[in-house]
Amino acid sequence: MRKHDSLRAGRRPGVRVGSIVKHVLLAGFLLLMLYPLIWMVVSSFKPGDTVLTDTSLIPSQVTFENYTSGWNALNEPFTLFFFNSLVVSIGSIVGNLVSCTLAAFALARLNFRGKRLYFAITLVSVMLPLHVLVVPQYIFFSSLGMVNTFFPLLLPKFLATDAFFVFLMVQFIRTIPRELDQAAWIDGAGPFRTFWSIILPLMTPALVTTTIFTFIWTWNDFFVPLIYLTSPKVYTLPVALSTLVDSETLDGIGTLFAMSVLSLVPVVLFFAFAQKHLVRGIATTGLK
Amino acid sequence: MSVDVSSRRRKAAGQGKAAHVFLLPWLLGLVFITALPLVASLYLSFTNYNLMSEPMFIGWDNFIRMVGDPRFMSAVAVTLRYVLISVPLQLAFALLLAVILDRGLRGLSFYRGAFYLPSLLGASVAVAIVWKEVFGHDGFVNQLLGLFGVEAVSWLQDPSRALSTLIVLNVWTFGSPMIIFLAGLRQVPEELYEAAKVDGAGQVRRFWNITLPMITPIVFFNLVLQTIGSFQSFTQAHVISGGSGGPLDSTLFYTLYLYQQGFVGYKMGYASALAWVLLIFIGIVTAIHFLLAKYWVFYGDEN
Amino acid sequence: MNIDRRTFLAVSGLAGLGLGLAACGVKQPSSGGSNDVSLRYGWWGNTIRQRTYETAFETFTTDHPHVTVQPEFAEYAAFQERMTTQIAGRTAPDLFWIASAQVLSYYKAGIYHDDLDKIETLDLSNFTPEQLESFKIDGKLNTVPLAVTAPVVRFNETFLDEAGATLPDEASTGWSWDGLAEFLIDYTKDAPEGRVGIAHNAQQDLTFESWLRQHGQQLWNEEGTVGFDADGLGGWLEWWEKLRKAGATLSLSEQEGPGMDWALAGDKTLMTFGNANHIADHAKMFPDYTFQLRGMPVLPDAAAGYTFGFMNRLTIYSGIDPDLLADAGRFLSFNLNHEAMLTPTLSLGAPVSGKQLEAAFDVASADEQKMLRIVQHNNAQESKPRYEAPAGTGTWRDIMTRTIEEIVLGGMGVKEASQKMIEGIQDEIAQVS
Repeated sequence: MRKHDSLRAGRRPGVRVGSIVKHVLLAGFLLLMLYPLIWMVVSSFKPGDTVLTDTSLIPSQVTFENYTSGWNALNEPFTLFFFNSLVVSIGSIVGNLVSCTLAAFALARLNFRGKRLYFAITLVSVMLPLHVLVVPQYIFFSSLGMVNTFFPLLLPKFLATDAFFVFLMVQFIRTIPRELDQAAWIDGAGPFRTFWSIILPLMTPALVTTTIFTFIWTWNDFFVPLIYLTSPKVYTLPVALSTLVDSETLDGIGTLFAMSVLSLVPVVLFFAFAQKHLVRGIATTGLK
Repeated sequence: MSVDVSSRRRKAAGQGKAAHVFLLPWLLGLVFITALPLVASLYLSFTNYNLMSEPMFIGWDNFIRMVGDPRFMSAVAVTLRYVLISVPLQLAFALLLAVILDRGLRGLSFYRGAFYLPSLLGASVAVAIVWKEVFGHDGFVNQLLGLFGVEAVSWLQDPSRALSTLIVLNVWTFGSPMIIFLAGLRQVPEELYEAAKVDGAGQVRRFWNITLPMITPIVFFNLVLQTIGSFQSFTQAHVISGGSGGPLDSTLFYTLYLYQQGFVGYKMGYASALAWVLLIFIGIVTAIHFLLAKYWVFYGDEN
Repeated sequence: MNIDRRTFLAVSGLAGLGLGLAACGVKQPSSGGSNDVSLRYGWWGNTIRQRTYETAFETFTTDHPHVTVQPEFAEYAAFQERMTTQIAGRTAPDLFWIASAQVLSYYKAGIYHDDLDKIETLDLSNFTPEQLESFKIDGKLNTVPLAVTAPVVRFNETFLDEAGATLPDEASTGWSWDGLAEFLIDYTKDAPEGRVGIAHNAQQDLTFESWLRQHGQQLWNEEGTVGFDADGLGGWLEWWEKLRKAGATLSLSEQEGPGMDWALAGDKTLMTFGNANHIADHAKMFPDYTFQLRGMPVLPDAAAGYTFGFMNRLTIYSGIDPDLLADAGRFLSFNLNHEAMLTPTLSLGAPVSGKQLEAAFDVASADEQKMLRIVQHNNAQESKPRYEAPAGTGTWRDIMTRTIEEIVLGGMGVKEASQKMIEGIQDEIAQVS
């Protein structure tokens, strides 16, 4: 009973204690969760050869050598790899936003023959492991002479091949009441206007989610860029990072950590910026 | 809303054409990027293909071999165990955190970003080394256990424990489904909560009767895709076990085995066969998910 | 169907922009004159190796300004993955290194340029005729070795001095497998807490091969199958079990698996088996210690000609543009004979030609010189031929790792595990033939 009272009455000592406890627990859990990350960041400031042998959180020696030696590690300044990754990630975001919204609208809202079949094929394409598709795809792209360009990485994004986002958007669209569409249809709007003016604005959370995930997944994508990009000048960050550590000698782990920390920075910033746009339900205003 | 039959038919025909314009990029992608390689891989699964010479047709041999392949059985067992444990665990954490973070908590943005950080690292090259340190012989976990007087335990080299470290890693990266849950929670209309508060419903009751039903499409989405994703889980097992799936194949994820056969052993035909068996299995599981969805998923667009 | 024209154009515009972005990253080398040539060179390693190689290449491009060397460099495992797709897509680099497990597979696939000796611009005069014969595969000179390395015992002299101990004399019968085992067990008994005689290294492939050859067997034979039997393998595994049970090796947990992690093992062990060329990098990780190299322990009645060298081969792609062949030959020549290549080669092993080997002493570090001396010593011995891994054996090292795990972690008997491993490898070979 007391809980209800405090909720209605608002601020009361009981609530404040409760919220402090909540914060403490959350913060504690957060620290536990983030320990591996904290360890990585701290280790990037340890001298290279002690990174693995010294497991404490407080480094006995602090140095920036991992950052300075890592910056020019591959005979190219690391900004080049940042730039390449940025091109691929942003291009992928644009591609996904354009093609997946179009496809999802059709699958979720329009009625046509074969709808279920297309939807099923979309899902099936998610289920086949990448490694087996990669070889035929590679042969396809290499026969078009597109190896060592960003084309094989970006073209699929513009053709809605990321079925994950198509499905995500379908699910979001399906939570939007059909009354809105029908109101628009009565007013004489065709499918495209309905899509552009009604559905798209209401899909903002899904669009933001797509943007965030596309950015992060393409930023961290290793295998596909590895096989298509052969010249270090076009390497994206993960491929460049993988060359920092030789599996034989395990040399360069400090550098790997340092450059990994640096490559996380844009993603963290991007996420911090983008998540503010996961705004509260605009869907409610549509009902009026 | 009643619409007369003929205009409905007109609408359907018009929508068919419109649909195909909307779907044009997707159809192109489907044919060239997805379907052709899909069909190619299906063909390859009936061949012996070492990537360097032309594929040689051998009929069902690859599939027959699978049945008698003990490592195949290990891979299936390991993957099943992984999926059945880590998916519900990860989703539960994700939902819990999303719900907690969704209530005007002070510092919400900060917490949301902070809890998502592990997912950013989770797919990267550096994570294996970090994880090895966490679960290594002198790592964080053992040190923590030492604080409680528990003796150091071998995590990564013990066949009975190595998989658990990967399950924990998957749960640790609950950020993605959490974000999706948060986005879904955002779409639950405020009015419903207010109406319920007026009626005197408490927090838990509001969660069960309003939140949960309204986000079932999102739960469904996360469930289906996390399941599919876990069946295909590769990078983490590959990097942490050094590509071996060890110790003693205890972390031999199905796709890792597939990768070993195809990319290291150069047996692309067998790898393709493995891929198709996986696809069929995932397909069945997903179909079951969809069939059961009727009973618990509530869509706002149904009349 | 009402599509707002403006919005449709806007959408198409966005799509076009995206595809335009896709065209970025097309870094085709600009060919100025018709004489300008670009050679793609694929190799692997870490960033230090990449830098030393590319610095050396600058010498070549200064002497041959019409040639641009396009590096295609990646970490070892990543390189192999990419190579796999490149072979399937027939887009392999013009020159590339060959992973040892794939030497014969690649040959069967026909991606080597046969008859490298017929390329006029390739200078092979620094090699003796016997050496050239030993490079040949199936009677054809289609690969050449960049460097050669050998298995060694690498021991921590600092630890040894601390214990006041000395290793058995190399020339004596005490420097045998049994003698070494006894020594290690003794050492561990008196060693400080946490320090043991040797890292558990049963999967060190070159050392294993040395064992086999001393026992009159081989790793791979001329017929393209497994060159050893369960006794040969079993003896090797038993030797390790004896040490492990006596506590003279690190536990698998302490060293993070059968594939020993040097960062963890380096300050816990007196010695380890390894490749001679790793000393330079590995010693750097523990600058407080001095490491020394020694050859393998020798079986009292070791079979004749057991010494061998492990060659890192490279080749010219059979699908190379014929117009590039002459310059590829020049570049290959440069790699093999030029003094600028000595420093990069040392990270792989010793140069193969006698002349380069001599010259290498001048640029080698103290640790690298230790490696060179071992190789020189080996070169002076009579060696029986050595056959490369047959097609289909790409995963043999993984099979061996699993076998070791089955014995150590799974409690399987050595005999049974050995039999299983050999059958496993033979199965793999059978599947691709």
